[in-house]
Amino acid sequence: MSPYFESYLTVGTFAALGAVLVMVMLGVASVLRPTNPTAAKRATYECGVDPVGSGWSQTYVRYYVFGLLFVIFDVEAVFIFPWAIAAEELGVFGLVAMFLFILTLLEGLAYAIKKGVLRWE
Amino acid sequence: MTWEIDYLALAPELVIVVTLLVVLALDLFLTRPNKYWTATAAVAGTALAAIPLVILAVEGENVSMFEGSYVVDEFALVLKGLFVVSAYLVLLLSHHYIESERFYQGEYYFLLLASVLGSLVMASARDLIILFIGLELTTGPLFLLAGWRKGDAKSNEASVKYFILGVLSTAILLWGMSMLYGLTGEITFAGLATATAGLADEPAMIVAVLFVIVGFAFKISAAPFHFWAPDTYEGAPTPVTAYLSVNSKAAGFVAFLLVMYLALPELSEIWAPALWILAAASMTLGNLSALRQSNIVRLLAYSSIAQAGFMLVPFAAAAVAGTNIEEGFSATVIYLVIYALMNVGAFATVIAGANRTATGDIDGWAGLGKIDARLGVLIGIFFFSLAGIPPLAGWFAKFAMFRAVILAGGTATVVLAVIAAVNAVIALYYYARVIKAVWLDDAPAEVPARAETPPSVSLRLALLISAALTIVIGFFPAIATFVGDASRIIAAGG
Repeated sequence: MSPYFESYLTVGTFAALGAVLVMVMLGVASVLRPTNPTAAKRATYECGVDPVGSGWSQTYVRYYVFGLLFVIFDVEAVFIFPWAIAAEELGVFGLVAMFLFILTLLEGLAYAIKKGVLRWE
Repeated sequence: MTWEIDYLALAPELVIVVTLLVVLALDLFLTRPNKYWTATAAVAGTALAAIPLVILAVEGENVSMFEGSYVVDEFALVLKGLFVVSAYLVLLLSHHYIESERFYQGEYYFLLLASVLGSLVMASARDLIILFIGLELTTGPLFLLAGWRKGDAKSNEASVKYFILGVLSTAILLWGMSMLYGLTGEITFAGLATATAGLADEPAMIVAVLFVIVGFAFKISAAPFHFWAPDTYEGAPTPVTAYLSVNSKAAGFVAFLLVMYLALPELSEIWAPALWILAAASMTLGNLSALRQSNIVRLLAYSSIAQAGFMLVPFAAAAVAGTNIEEGFSATVIYLVIYALMNVGAFATVIAGANRTATGDIDGWAGLGKIDARLGVLIGIFFFSLAGIPPLAGWFAKFAMFRAVILAGGTATVVLAVIAAVNAVIALYYYARVIKAVWLDDAPAEVPARAETPPSVSLRLALLISAALTIVIGFFPAIATFVGDASRIIAAGG
């Protein structure tokens, strides 16, 4: 076996051991524990609050647009933080580049505002 | 720390970026009757992007940036020229079409230009990550554009099918690329070319290369990965279909060829037979399916699948034979360029013909040549050129293809050449059928009323440019051999 696959052997062993461990723990627990189900115990666990409604629920479609806009600016943050740390080294070039990047994203925001996406009524 | 950036070499891309931002901004401030300004800006910006291309071509200097990941050489310039010209023609086709119905206009041009930007990036990409970004930027906007006729169920189907299969192919491609990186630790093509030497027997490497091939085969709609193409082509707005079958396909081809040729030359014993099968299957399946089509756009969709097969022939044949690979590569690129120019023209005649007869059925076009002689002549030019009849450009594409195959030699190569020759004859049948309907069939008793106003100036201009190119290249193939020379230089590692 080539060393390439040997290194994957470790991964395989680890996965197999993990599976065995879970099975053993669940198996031992099911043998040892008392079984006494009540309605309250069988209910879906929702942070300790009584579950409300069914599993299917409607979400306001507007959240979708907010989600998209959030992702854009979240990604922006991912780029800005490493840039901010190295800002002094990168100098004027880095500053201009980052401004161009932010302005491009701001045009997207301006587009969203102008199209009335952010209006909530 | 500063990057060495040659802004002149990046100028075509930068012009397109500025144009698409301007188009989006313009769209916000224009009232509906004035929206055509977004089209004007897009057309002007695309034309402007050609200027730095010409300057760079005249200077003739090779520029390599970002540690060899981004290269502007003659090969990249030729392809960028092709992408800019065909994008310009598609924009001309779109102008009237998008304005005549209640489409979103600014967004259309914004997305189309974003896709053009992706194809420009791809022509220069010399590492897997930049190549992937370029490829995604090319296809991403097209998922939306394919569904631009929002109220039409077929357009929605086109968009969803293209999206699902596009995402699937991207995932497979990315998986293959990640395995290539995992096995070699390299992402640049030059690095991969040296690091993959002697790894052709490694099972994981075979899987990686095959995944990359399958991913690209979806993008260029080569059989047996072509199922999305006919439905998407039929449902999408016709200018978008033209773009799909020309720019997006050419971009996929370029990426495919670059990866195989520059990054994995040492592994040709894995990918050469796969390419051989793709070429033979695409030609045969595409042509046989095209025989039975009654809708002109579906016919062109299957024709473009078959043409993808023809394009692969010289490169696959040379790679299988293991000789004269640079000849095969340059013949494939010549075919690609000529195909792109004549196919844009064919779609322009489809838009004009559908405008005139209010139908996309080939039977509905009966006698069109007698009603509108100029349009009939143009249909003749583009469809005969696609079939490869001299003196139109298509013959030189086929000539370059067969020449490269003969130079390569070998049994497998000859078999492929025979398949290609048989398919060229089959193809002539269905291309000629369209021309027969237009010229020989009797016109319906009552001349169909014009569905729309007469063809717009921009549509006429697009027809004129593509017809001129198709004829000129047919008479002066030297123009196309320049393309071949540029791709031979990349072969020499220059």
